[in-house]
Amino acid sequence: MPVIETRPAGDTPVREARRGVLLQLVRPVARTVPWWALAAGGGLGLLAAAVPRLSGGEVTPWAGVTALRAAALCFALGAAFLLDDPARRTTAAVPVRRVLRHALRYALVLPPAAAWWTAAVLLVPEEARPPAGDVTLEAATTLALALAGAAYAVRRRGADRPGQAVSASLLTAAVLAPLLSPSDWSLFTAPGDPHWADGHGHWTLLLCGALLAAAVCCTEPVRRIHPVRRLRTRPEGPKGGSGGAAPRDGKGRGGGESPRP
Amino acid sequence: MTTATTPVPAPAPVKSQPGASRAAVLALARFETRKLLTRVPVLVAFAVYVAWTVWRTRVSFDGFPALQDADRATQDGPLLVGLAVLLSANHAMLRSRRQDTERHLDVLVLPRWGRTVAHLLSVGAAALVTALCVGGQFAWEALKPGAVGNGSPGELLVGPLSVLLLGAFGVLLARLVTAPFAAPLLIVLMLVLATLLGFSGEGWTRWLMPSVGTYSVVTLPSDLIGRPAAWHALYLGGLALTLMAAAVLLSGGARLRTAQAAVAGAVALALVGAVGQSRDVPESVTEARVRASVTPERLHTCVERDATTYCAFPEWEPRTGDWARIVDDVRALAGGDAQDRPLAVRQRVEARYGLDADATLSPLTRPGEVTVGTAWGGNRVPEFAVAVAGVLVTGSEATAGEMCDGRMVTVMWLALADRPDPLADLRRVRLDDSDTGSALVISQTEPLQMTSAQTELLRELLELPREKAAAKVKAGWAELTAPKVTTDHVARVLGLEKPEGENECL
Repeated sequence: MPVIETRPAGDTPVREARRGVLLQLVRPVARTVPWWALAAGGGLGLLAAAVPRLSGGEVTPWAGVTALRAAALCFALGAAFLLDDPARRTTAAVPVRRVLRHALRYALVLPPAAAWWTAAVLLVPEEARPPAGDVTLEAATTLALALAGAAYAVRRRGADRPGQAVSASLLTAAVLAPLLSPSDWSLFTAPGDPHWADGHGHWTLLLCGALLAAAVCCTEPVRRIHPVRRLRTRPEGPKGGSGGAAPRDGKGRGGGESPRP
Repeated sequence: MTTATTPVPAPAPVKSQPGASRAAVLALARFETRKLLTRVPVLVAFAVYVAWTVWRTRVSFDGFPALQDADRATQDGPLLVGLAVLLSANHAMLRSRRQDTERHLDVLVLPRWGRTVAHLLSVGAAALVTALCVGGQFAWEALKPGAVGNGSPGELLVGPLSVLLLGAFGVLLARLVTAPFAAPLLIVLMLVLATLLGFSGEGWTRWLMPSVGTYSVVTLPSDLIGRPAAWHALYLGGLALTLMAAAVLLSGGARLRTAQAAVAGAVALALVGAVGQSRDVPESVTEARVRASVTPERLHTCVERDATTYCAFPEWEPRTGDWARIVDDVRALAGGDAQDRPLAVRQRVEARYGLDADATLSPLTRPGEVTVGTAWGGNRVPEFAVAVAGVLVTGSEATAGEMCDGRMVTVMWLALADRPDPLADLRRVRLDDSDTGSALVISQTEPLQMTSAQTELLRELLELPREKAAAKVKAGWAELTAPKVTTDHVARVLGLEKPEGENECL
């Protein structure tokens, strides 16, 4: 039993210290959150949600759900900039893991996002309002996709400001998805459609996938393993070593004119 | 150890050559064009646009396009490319700011407005590529063997000009708002407004959108279209130039005489175009529409082939061969004097209510006259065959429309027996796409009626070998085409089983 007793005794100060660091981090992280992008996305999203009400006349359920989808997309485009941090290189060395730093950012944004989404849903006239739970699922999926994209760009490319590229990708996907997604996925149905429930099953799957991807991408790559490169690098030096192997590969690929690393 | 200091020669004063600035702009434009055309959103948009266009154009208009409709079909795809160019041009303009190289660029020979001009030229290159795609799509339609009519350059320019307009907007936006989230958010807002409000616009305001689709259900001769295509192209071009000149002005080119003059000229162009396109359908077109609908025979050119005269609007003259093949097929199966009785195929169109109103034509009352519409291919072919057979059996279109007796079997058999797949064509001409039971048979004019018994008998007849059936029909032609002949009598004459289905017209 001594082993079990020593573990909590040894961990407690670490946990306390971590909690203390997190609390200290709240203010600096809150300062670096790109509130302007979120505010712009949220503002335009509210405008999009209000279009059916402002345009007057009878609002169809299709118009209601389209406006809410556009609102969710606007907010997600703003949230794609959430991980933008010009000082990322300098904060990489702090003793708090990336997953906590990212989680802190997400946590700071979630309450305003929830309030904003409630307002957006309420802006759609009641007779045209789609089932709140289902449409919230769609909005959450869009947001999760944006955040997962940003986390992926940070992890794979070490980008300081992944927002622009991620928002462009998200927008491209959002424009093309209704055109190209198979109709039996029925992702973009109107309320009352017999496939509405099926479609939301697919939305749930997408949400789970996006959350999983975001969670995986938030962890810091501990070390990079490049077995292939290590094998090929010979002690003769990087140029000679790679040059010795390159001609054969180059001939095989037919493009070995410029052996650049 | 002595340090030898070699005097560094003073740098020669840099004199900018007169053409250096232009060459620098062009060099930068080449670079930006390459960057813009290889950005992922632009590549994806072009790939989707081209794939979708190719997929659709393979089977569009059932292989018989009227080019005055085909030109409008080129307008919507480029909007996708335009949005991608807007986004990417905006990002390209913000690149130097994002990577903090603005300071380095400021010391180069190229002024800030020169860099903007280079970006605008890259947008122009994207518009040129779109123009190539649009030209390819239209040329494909025009080269189809069944193509008729004339396209309008104004309608064809809309696609490339929308790309230019949206790209110029992206460049201008980068000069107005430096935030990288502005362009994507604005695109979403534009899409929302276009989806929820844009299509409901009426009157002159709807022509302010880049691409104004008219969901045409009727194909009109090209001089009756009545869309202000040229004015709209002028408006789009003027607006695009205005945005481009404004972007140059905002990039520190405000003192350039050329830029000032360009803004003034472009605004004038856009205004002239906007005023020109806001007018209603011109009176001359309205009158011409009435003439074409009420007295088409004055506009027709007629061709005589065998015993049939084909009168068509001049643009449709190449199509008389397609009509003649159907008429000859139907005639070959007929008996009695129907094989060489004079017939007149008259092309008619209801143009008085414009492009988006579908109005049925009244049947022709004179004997031996058949109506043919402006569309062809697909379902229109068996429909025309039914109309020809109806006139051959009953004498005129009006009497064919009122027919409610056993002659219907002969009419339908004449129309369908020579088709490659008679049963499929039977389903295509029937309103409910069925091949059993009673149904309405669609036609260019009044619909015909088939009872269950007649359908049953027709299917029995179609199942016989064609020569055998043709011999039976020719042998009993006089009885089969006698007015008020009963379906049971028709079955007896043809030597088929008496049908069991009900035999009452609706």
